[in-house]
Amino acid sequence: MAEPGAALRVDGDVVPAGAPGETLLDVLRASGSFAAKQACGRGECGACTVLVGDRAVMSCTMLAALVTDEVTTAAGLGDAAADLRAAFADHAAFQCGFCTPGQVVRAEAVLRESVDRSRDEVVREMSGNLCRCTGYRQIVDAVCAVAQTRQCSREAAR
Amino acid sequence: MSHGAGAIGQSVRPLDWEEKTSGTARYAADEPPSGTLVARVLRSPLPHAEIKHLDVSAALRVPGVHAVVTAADFPAGRLYEHSGGPYSDRPPLAVDRVLYVGHEVAAVAADSATAADEAIRRIVVRYRRRKAVLTVPDALAPGAPQLHRREAGPNVAVATAEHWGDIDLAETNAVVSAEGTFRYPRVNHACMEPNTTIAWWHDERLEMWTSSQAPHFVVHELAALFGLDLDQVVCRDVSVGGGFGSKSKISEHEALAAALSMKCGRPVLLELSRAEEFAFTKPRHAFTTKLTAAADADGRLCLLDAVIDVDNGAYNHYGPSVMRAGIKQLGSMYRPDAVRWDARLVDTNLVPGGQFRGYGQPQTAIGLETLMDELAEKCGQDPIDFRISNSGLPDTTQLSGSQVGSNRLRECLAQVRDRIGWDAKRGPERRPYRGVGVSSGMHASGSYAYPGGNTSAAGVEVRTTGEVVVRFGGADAGTGQRTILGQIAADVLGVPMDRVGVIMADWDETPPDMGAWSSRGTHMGGHAVRQSAEAMAARLCELGAEKLGTEDVTLADGDVVSDADRVAIADLVDLADESADGALRIDTEYVEPKMQPYWTGIERPNISATYAYAAHAIEVEVDPGTGVIRVLHYAAVHDIGKAINPALVEGQIIGGAVQGLGAALGEKLHYEGGRLVNAGYVHYPLPRATTVPSIDVALVEGPEPAGPFNAKSVGEIALIPAAPALLNAVYDATGIRFRELPLTPDVVLAALQERDGVTPRQHHLARRPGRWQIGLFRALYPYGIHLLLDRWGTRFARRRTPRAVERVALPATVAEAVAELASPDATVIGGGTDVLVQRDQELLFPTVLVGTGAIASMRAIDEEPGGAWRIGAAVTLAELASWAGTRVPMVAEAVATIASAQIREVATVAGNLGQEKRCWFFRNGFDCYKRGGVSCPCYAVEGDHRLHHAAIGGHRCQAVTPSDLATVFDALGAEVVLTGPSGSRRVSITGLYAGPGELDLRTGELVEAIVLPASALSARGAFVKLQQWDGDFALVSLAASASIGDDRRWTAARYVFGGLAPKPWQPPRLTRALAGTVPTADAVAAVLDQDLSWEAHPLPGNRWKLDAAVGLARQATEQLLLGRTRDEEWR
Repeated sequence: MAEPGAALRVDGDVVPAGAPGETLLDVLRASGSFAAKQACGRGECGACTVLVGDRAVMSCTMLAALVTDEVTTAAGLGDAAADLRAAFADHAAFQCGFCTPGQVVRAEAVLRESVDRSRDEVVREMSGNLCRCTGYRQIVDAVCAVAQTRQCSREAAR
Repeated sequence: MSHGAGAIGQSVRPLDWEEKTSGTARYAADEPPSGTLVARVLRSPLPHAEIKHLDVSAALRVPGVHAVVTAADFPAGRLYEHSGGPYSDRPPLAVDRVLYVGHEVAAVAADSATAADEAIRRIVVRYRRRKAVLTVPDALAPGAPQLHRREAGPNVAVATAEHWGDIDLAETNAVVSAEGTFRYPRVNHACMEPNTTIAWWHDERLEMWTSSQAPHFVVHELAALFGLDLDQVVCRDVSVGGGFGSKSKISEHEALAAALSMKCGRPVLLELSRAEEFAFTKPRHAFTTKLTAAADADGRLCLLDAVIDVDNGAYNHYGPSVMRAGIKQLGSMYRPDAVRWDARLVDTNLVPGGQFRGYGQPQTAIGLETLMDELAEKCGQDPIDFRISNSGLPDTTQLSGSQVGSNRLRECLAQVRDRIGWDAKRGPERRPYRGVGVSSGMHASGSYAYPGGNTSAAGVEVRTTGEVVVRFGGADAGTGQRTILGQIAADVLGVPMDRVGVIMADWDETPPDMGAWSSRGTHMGGHAVRQSAEAMAARLCELGAEKLGTEDVTLADGDVVSDADRVAIADLVDLADESADGALRIDTEYVEPKMQPYWTGIERPNISATYAYAAHAIEVEVDPGTGVIRVLHYAAVHDIGKAINPALVEGQIIGGAVQGLGAALGEKLHYEGGRLVNAGYVHYPLPRATTVPSIDVALVEGPEPAGPFNAKSVGEIALIPAAPALLNAVYDATGIRFRELPLTPDVVLAALQERDGVTPRQHHLARRPGRWQIGLFRALYPYGIHLLLDRWGTRFARRRTPRAVERVALPATVAEAVAELASPDATVIGGGTDVLVQRDQELLFPTVLVGTGAIASMRAIDEEPGGAWRIGAAVTLAELASWAGTRVPMVAEAVATIASAQIREVATVAGNLGQEKRCWFFRNGFDCYKRGGVSCPCYAVEGDHRLHHAAIGGHRCQAVTPSDLATVFDALGAEVVLTGPSGSRRVSITGLYAGPGELDLRTGELVEAIVLPASALSARGAFVKLQQWDGDFALVSLAASASIGDDRRWTAARYVFGGLAPKPWQPPRLTRALAGTVPTADAVAAVLDQDLSWEAHPLPGNRWKLDAAVGLARQATEQLLLGRTRDEEWR
């Protein structure tokens, strides 16, 4: 039988895994990593989205003990997502900003999976992340714009 | 002097974009000071009761508890100021009585959340229940218990019956009229950041990190509550995660956190849970507006006559001014001869209403704008033309007293006509069930509602480093005010934006300001910053002139420039005598000359300096089979004066419009016995990215001398026209005038059936003895059974005691897992997306969690001999969808409708099948039959059961199995492999369930795999689902599979419905009737109708689900016949 790990890797740091029943979000925030936000605590809104490996997940309904891959929050995305962050700024794709770290992480996962995305696809892929401020259009605009530039630069590199 | 940088009118990036997009922006709950305690609140479980006994001594003995506060900790008689004067009625904690479910009785601060929760449970309160008034009619009924002593009458907080204009003239002129009673429900702001405060009493000061839009009200109210000087309270500058009005005044959490910290001297964090946020923050006031509108023979609006009842909730808060704003709108948009109203603000035992974007105007706008359409029709005029000819005019005083400067409503209406394609879409080529509708909107730019409301203060500072710092005492909850103020300073001082910083909220650092509410941020704050920046510019030019030796100087690129020379403004700082600490600072206060106050006896005060206007148009399509409304196109044209930052202005417009659409299409707070039923995003259909169209925005700009740089407000206005435009579009599509929000599918479908004269389905209950017992039970519910079970039975309700998880086991084999499950305290955990939620909902407290992710066989999908496929139970939904994509498309299509991509990454097949029922009573803490046991009622029988409950086969519990996979797997004839201590067995999907969302497992058994027969891969399939938002649980769903022979005849067809019955439901006659035929959608519908007549036993409110089921059956049948999906048809 495998044993749950005693520590997690978060944004390049090692973080204690906490008590057995703790969620990944609890562990992140207790360890001083505040990029993932608690907005619903029930996996309904996406504000706590982080990458576990390459998969975007809701950290509020994920048992920390079951996490084995590296965890990346919005604060840990680094330069890989610099274009995405700039696009969010240029398209006014956030207002209050509370859902934004989760939106950026989700968008990064969507684009890592594929940059060949139609607008409809982006809308569907992002629909698990609630935003009460923007009305979504600008978020979709930002993600589509980055999809296009990343696709162009990838093609240019070929 | 020049404005050099030209930052006005540029879509510059928000100043805090790097922090906000990288997750480093600090919100109230982030980075708490070391030693911060966690607070919890004890709230009333009853809507109206006397507190006979309150004892907190046991709570104080819980290890780790540092402070408990009750009403006794506040001086007797101390109240929040709120609306002020006679309207102030609320103490900070319940005194001797509770007036609504959730009313704060006590609060606790402890080292940990666990200790705080335990302390809350130890507080002893004995209540004596009083009769509650939960609706306006109940509150106004003779003999109703009175919540407060009110001068205006029993339970009438404020009554006003007056008029503007010449009523006699209006009535003489009136030739045509239209009337209706319009209902706007309670709606929650649902800000993404829950209301949160850290309060820390130290060094004789209260230091606050709080999610406030307006520190002014926090500072003033706290100082008054605790007898402090204003400078003893300070709110630090934190990011605020959305407000929309809900955070624009003080909230209870701020006072409670402060009281706790003052008691123990430690920082205290009080963060509302999402359930508390929905249930106990102050929602939009519900209005019932009976409105009559009349026009003369030429189509000129003559009269608006309104009778308005506003549900105040249990305290005034700002209800009096919300009601006033709703009335005021009637005399501000158009040019009637007269406006008359008779309005009451009525106390009820519900959580008090609060201020919410639009502030009373959305509620009356649905009536006004619907009747404008009706009058236009009666006058034979086009609705847009009718509005244009009746629009208020520039440079006039409206009936309400609004002294309007610029007004470009007519231009907005004309533009929106083109942008939505009005004439073509309403022309002869129109498509059935499509329609377009329009609405006007208007809003002031701030209001002189409180003393000081006409003032704003700001500081501007230049540092020797060359930085320009704006100091402003309001807070930015997401409106972009920080950036707007920075742009104004940059523009006036001629410095580039990257050298501008803005400090907000923290009155140690800024002059006090009233903050952002009433759409005043840009107007008032903008003028204040402009004024201070202009003073600074003059001073810099003065210093520069002295330095350069010429009077002829300007500001450009961060320098003072003369013809011959230039000097950096940074280098001028130390030349000014008044400079200190390397900075030259000028603070000024702006006093708005055009504003008149409400309270000084001016009969019709002009409360604002400028007025913004808008026209919105919406195109919808209504599905006559299911009642679902799709918004196809949305155009919004706004008279903005000048957009200081066009991208941010567009953001306000789109965001406001979508919030308005949310309320129009689904958002509503549902109460049962005074308690909120839908206290979570899952049951509150906030718009999602997929549910709203891409909104087309156009700005109409032009001079507005009273605005800063010609700017007018934009914060609230966009929400107002959304709902009326939608109502008018739905009328255009269906010919039905809906007068109550929201337009959920049940409402629309029922109205369509009524319009078409469809005879209600008979259910032959007299000939179905199997249903007699339950029919009798249901019939008796309103005659005492509900009351008995609710009042008496729930005293014996089973309540789970919270227990911590002691161990997480990760077995490598099924046998090891089965061994772990021998303990009754062990529960299987797949992705955790329901188990952890159930723990949060106090439904389940396992001490051992048995993860299945390490069992290789349960993580695999393998083909078996004979062409069947075995799907491991721990396979995630994302993996299942990717496997199923081309093999069994129906499975992939169904998975795509489940929750969100993030959930599908981790949620497992077994977890989906085994998830608990999603009944909103069961999930949201009601002591119902399933949660509390046999002595408890099913709240769905009497409560709101329109959406989430069974219309077929309901028994004591009316819930349904929420799993979409169950529906699909059943249609595919799948079997489930269950493995336990005595080996494995196979059951059908219906055999898997003992009840709604309840697996029929033996002790120690787990779901090991699902086996799809070979036929599942060769059959044609269709999955259709009616849901309120993409990812929602099915209101009704249908999975249909059919094997179609070369002769086009169907063999082995299975139609299985989800959301209709406690378990996936297969209509018995339909399956038999389909075999060997070439069916049509009509034929399927006809047989299904018979099945529904003989099998269904709906509750009064969910009969519509049966009609929707028929609509879905038609869709699915057409898809099976065509071999393509509805989404493909839409494209």
